[in-house]
Amino acid sequence: MELDNYKKVWKNQPEEKNKISALEIYKMTQSKSTSIVKWIFIIGLLEFAFWFALNYIGTNNGALAPYEELNLIKFIDNINYFHYVVVVLFLVLFYRNFSSISSIDNTKTLMKNILLVRKTVKWYVYYNLINVIVFSIILNILIFNTPNGINIISGIDNESLNQEHMMSVFIIAQIVVIAFMILVLWLFYYLLYGILLKKLNKNYKELIKLNEIN
Amino acid sequence: MQTQLEKNFLNDFEKNQNIVHKICRIYTTNQDQHNDLFQEITIQIWKNYSKFRGESKFSTWMYRVSLNTAITLYRKSSRRIKTQDFSEVSFKIKSIDYDDTKDQQLRALYGGIRELNDIEKALIFLYLEDKPYKEIAKTLGISEVNARVKMNRSKEKLRKILNP
Repeated sequence: MELDNYKKVWKNQPEEKNKISALEIYKMTQSKSTSIVKWIFIIGLLEFAFWFALNYIGTNNGALAPYEELNLIKFIDNINYFHYVVVVLFLVLFYRNFSSISSIDNTKTLMKNILLVRKTVKWYVYYNLINVIVFSIILNILIFNTPNGINIISGIDNESLNQEHMMSVFIIAQIVVIAFMILVLWLFYYLLYGILLKKLNKNYKELIKLNEIN
Repeated sequence: MQTQLEKNFLNDFEKNQNIVHKICRIYTTNQDQHNDLFQEITIQIWKNYSKFRGESKFSTWMYRVSLNTAITLYRKSSRRIKTQDFSEVSFKIKSIDYDDTKDQQLRALYGGIRELNDIEKALIFLYLEDKPYKEIAKTLGISEVNARVKMNRSKEKLRKILNP
């Protein structure tokens, strides 16, 4: 049977038996949406909060005392001010991109805007990772250029310890911590956004492919 | 006490709810999912109803928001009681042996459409609903030429599924 005949069958299909009454429709409008947009917004906010808290705790729990001895407090403060400005900029961008999501846009624009919100959060995470790495590198250089820097930071006050050995342990420990952080993040994102956006990504690719037909 | 906006919405939506049911039937495979998607589409249409200016017909606007919800916004919720799938596995075999009743043809058509991907489903649905290419292209955000090319491919795919 040809598609045109199926089309006739389609047109003559009976109306839905379980019609939803106006009252039921009204009740539905009062219930909460479970759309992925809501989840992307909540997860995005949680990520902002998570990184902000991590940074805040990292610089406000007394762990900075040794840095005071190294005269690095001003440096750390300046970096923090810069960091807060960047966080605010990211939040503004996040909110702006989020507000532009509208289900009355065409399908492609809608998908693009949702993915843009996701990308904003991704850039924010990248920024934080780069921040941690660059900050560590600068701090290391400053510490190593200070006599007894490692001893002050590690809190071990024993000059008989092998300085070179201490240095290696110090650097390796930092690399392990950063690598572990990246691994955990990657797993987290892979699972979280992978599951959440699997369908969207697939359909978006399909639409993009459509536009490349010619 | 309902506002005038709510009254208009309920009136418009109730009259056109068949469009939403058809979309739900295409994009879901059981009654629970059908109800879930129906609810999400209702919420999305209501949320945006104040932006509906009447430049196009309400139904045209409804097609767009409903398809967007089905294709992009809706995630099948994980909490679900296992229910019977709509599409009985046996219907394909039956339709060969039995007389081609309209009902069986319709079920075969729905079964065939469900095998397409989300975008192909949208294209075929709009074709079956007799929408012009201009509107199809505008709904999906692709060019009219591309809509035509892709439509032909989707139709071909569906034809092969329906007439193996």
